[in-house]
Formats: sequence, C-alpha cells, structure tokens
Amino acid sequence: MSLEPEDEVIICRCEEVSLKEILEAIAEGARTVNEVKMRTRAGMGLCQGKTCRRLVSQILAQQTGQPMGEIMPATFRPPVRPVPIGVLATGDDEG
Amino acid sequence: MLPDVVVIGGGIVGCSCAYYLAREGVRVCLVEKGNLASGTSRAGQSHIVLWEEPDINLQLEKASRLLYEALAEELPFDIEYRRTGSLALVENAGDWEPFERTVHSLQARGLDCQLLTSTDLCRLEPNLAPDLAGGAYFPEDAQVNPILTTLALAQAAKNMGAEIRPFTEVTGIELSAERKVTAVDTTTGRIPTAIVVNAAGVWSAAIGTMVGLEIPVIPRRGHIIVTEPVPDNLINCKIILAAGYMQTLGATSGVAMSANIQQTHSGNLLLGSSRDFGGFDRTVRPEVIRAQLARNLRFLPALANIHVIRTYAGLRPYSPDLVPIISEGDGVKGFYIATGHEGAGITMAPITGKLISEMITSKAPTVPLEPLSLRRFSHRQEEDRLG
Repeated sequence: MSLEPEDEVIICRCEEVSLKEILEAIAEGARTVNEVKMRTRAGMGLCQGKTCRRLVSQILAQQTGQPMGEIMPATFRPPVRPVPIGVLATGDDEG
Repeated sequence: MLPDVVVIGGGIVGCSCAYYLAREGVRVCLVEKGNLASGTSRAGQSHIVLWEEPDINLQLEKASRLLYEALAEELPFDIEYRRTGSLALVENAGDWEPFERTVHSLQARGLDCQLLTSTDLCRLEPNLAPDLAGGAYFPEDAQVNPILTTLALAQAAKNMGAEIRPFTEVTGIELSAERKVTAVDTTTGRIPTAIVVNAAGVWSAAIGTMVGLEIPVIPRRGHIIVTEPVPDNLINCKIILAAGYMQTLGATSGVAMSANIQQTHSGNLLLGSSRDFGGFDRTVRPEVIRAQLARNLRFLPALANIHVIRTYAGLRPYSPDLVPIISEGDGVKGFYIATGHEGAGITMAPITGKLISEMITSKAPTVPLEPLSLRRFSHRQEEDRLG
C-alpha cells in the first residue's frame, strides 16, 4: 500500500482526522505518536486512541523508515474508559 | 556557523524567547531534551489570566495579553486565541469582603473588572450552583491552546532562521576564566556561543548549577482532568474558577485544591486545579482526581453526568515568591534566566520572550526588570540572616 497525501480516509474516528492530515503532520516534523496527536488531535477523542494509535504508528513507520518497535508509543492516561464525573468523584465505581 | 544565542528549553517560554530574539535578527539555536512542548507547556489548562498578585505579575500579564493579540495574527498557524473573559466565583458569604477588596484594588490599578451578585451569576450562568455568594467578571482574560502556541512560536522562529534542535540535552556549559559563557555542550554536539538563555522551567535549577548559580525553582505538581466535548451552553463564559484559586497558589504544604473549569476550542472541559510538591513525579494520584472533581461539582453540579476521558499531572516551575525570574545570571557574563512562572507560564510566555530579547539587544524593557531579578533572592536571604 502506498500512502498518498490526498487520501481522505479517516484514521482517528473520534476526532475525524484524515490520513492526509497525519501525513502533513509527519511532513512538518512529527516523529512520535504524541507529536502527531499534538498537531492533529488524532487520539484525543472519546476512545483516547484505542482505534488509531496503532495505525498512526504504522503510518509513522512507513513514512520515516523506522521499524514499528522504535516508534515512541502514545502515553496512556487514566481512566481507561470514559467515566461520569458524578461516579468518579464519589468513588462509587469501586463498589 | 556560530549561533549568537543558545536557548535551553523547548517549552512555551523557550520558544517565545527564540521567536522574539529571531525577530530582532539575532541568530538563535534552541535546544530541547525531548519534543517541543513535552513538559509543563502541555500539562496545564488554557487560561491567559490578568489578575494575579503581586503588582509586577499584573503588569507582566497585561503586557503579555497585548502581545498575544499580535501573535494571533503574526504566527504561521492558528493558536486558538480568543478573548473569552473569565468568571471568578466566591463560594461562601464569609469570603465575600476580602474578595471585594481585592477586586476594588485591581480596579484602582486600572484593570477592567466588575463584581457580580449571586443573582447576576444565576442569570449569566444558569447551570452553576444556586447558593454561591457572588463573583466577578474579568473581561480582559483570554484563552489559548498552549501546545499549538509553542509549536507556532518555534515554527515562526525557524522561518526567521532559528535552528530548533529537539532531542538535544544540555550536558554542560563552558565558561572562560573571566566567567563568560563560551559554549554549550549537548548530547548532539558542542555549540560555541557567548550567550545562553536558561528557559528550562522545572529543570532550570540544574542548568543554573552548571554555571554555579543557585536558582530557587522547584517542580510543583498540578492535576488536570479532561472531559468529553460538552454542549456550548453548559457554561457561557469559557473560563470559570473559584476565587480561592489564588490562595491555592500560595499554599506551601499538603494538596491545595480549587475549582477551575475551562472549555477549550474543541469543546472539551479542562478541570483544575490542585498543587502539591512531589519532586519530579508526574504520576496521577486517584485521590487527588476524586477530590478535584468534587470541588468542581460543588460549583457546577451539571458536571455529574459528563464523562472524564483523560487525566494528567504536570510540573509547574515554582519560585518561592510566585514571581518569575527573568534576569541576568549575576557573576556569569552571557547567562540569562527565564523561569519560575508556576501556573502563569502560558500567560506570561510572550512578555518573557520579549523581555529577554530586550535585555540581550540592549533595548529599554517593556516592564521593569528589578522585581524579576535573580538577585532578589540573595537579598532576601541576607535580610533573613540579619532579621
């Protein structure tokens, strides 16, 4: 598969970030998943990158020639899934 | 090719220094040990605040906000700057009088702000708790995306010829026998230079040690909670904070906490604010998150059904008097310092960069420099000893 900058395929579904935008971020110098995120919002939506971070790593690997294993992964932050504030603040989720 | 100035630190303050220096035609090389905006600059909220005490902070903030107006036009991409105004809330009737005095004092010093009764609040923000004592509106306050601002400042500096070197850690600073800066040693090579700007934020004390200067800046942790995007009418004013926020900054032990609700350009809420000292530990503490959410719920009960999607903790460069250090390094020629902004680094980054460029190019400073000097701490130690 070769990636073309005009590709409009959506990579991050939560934030509707296209392949084209990811490729532009890499062209501007992004080399890690977090740098792509800071420039495009890919991975900043409701699922926090569960769907797209691996895809972004693959695109980075393909574009920069680095092996997948050497692409710095995105940071994972709690909570792992969305939790209502009313629940989290009172600690009811631990019951 | 010799750079004229080496800036250490690729956060918003370092990038601002690089930008304002490059604009003056100075050749700049900026070194950053990780990515740009990978530390404090990406770990805060979005508020450009104009009403911090003491008076020197107020002056810096007013000057900086004006520079943001210009930056929003000058920078190569959108930094999401908007003049939103901010709303400060007083929870209890007992706290009203001191707050009223503060607002009057700010007004007397020329800041545009107005007191609001509890009835005013209910009308302006129907989703707030109905039993608050009152508040104040600060129409000059604004909002910005700190990460995009950092990247845009760096890009603009680069467009004017600056060199930006990420993943380059400083390992030493070379001085001549007369204690003049001669070079910066880094993990990607030695850079000969006569001038260094230490904009390393929470790491600035370690850079100071390299030239024998004691910079009294330590890391102070702050937690932030990110929610899913919320409807635009949940809060009408995009920055709402408890008036107690300023007291939070003054606390020196335990976990200080205050409500601080900001809706970003993308619709998500950023919920602050807490402060505690835990060295360089950036771990999120669940008990702090819970307590912080409870504080925010107290002021905005409508938060209960909104989902948290992410939490993070970042480190603020704390200086003992909550005033930044924008200064020459006494006794080390060619060494400049821009650090210690605590939670106001985003607000004060533009004026900090401008002041540093004015110092280096021998121009009259926009804001008086004496209250910002590193020297003030040695005077203080002297007074403590004599007192």
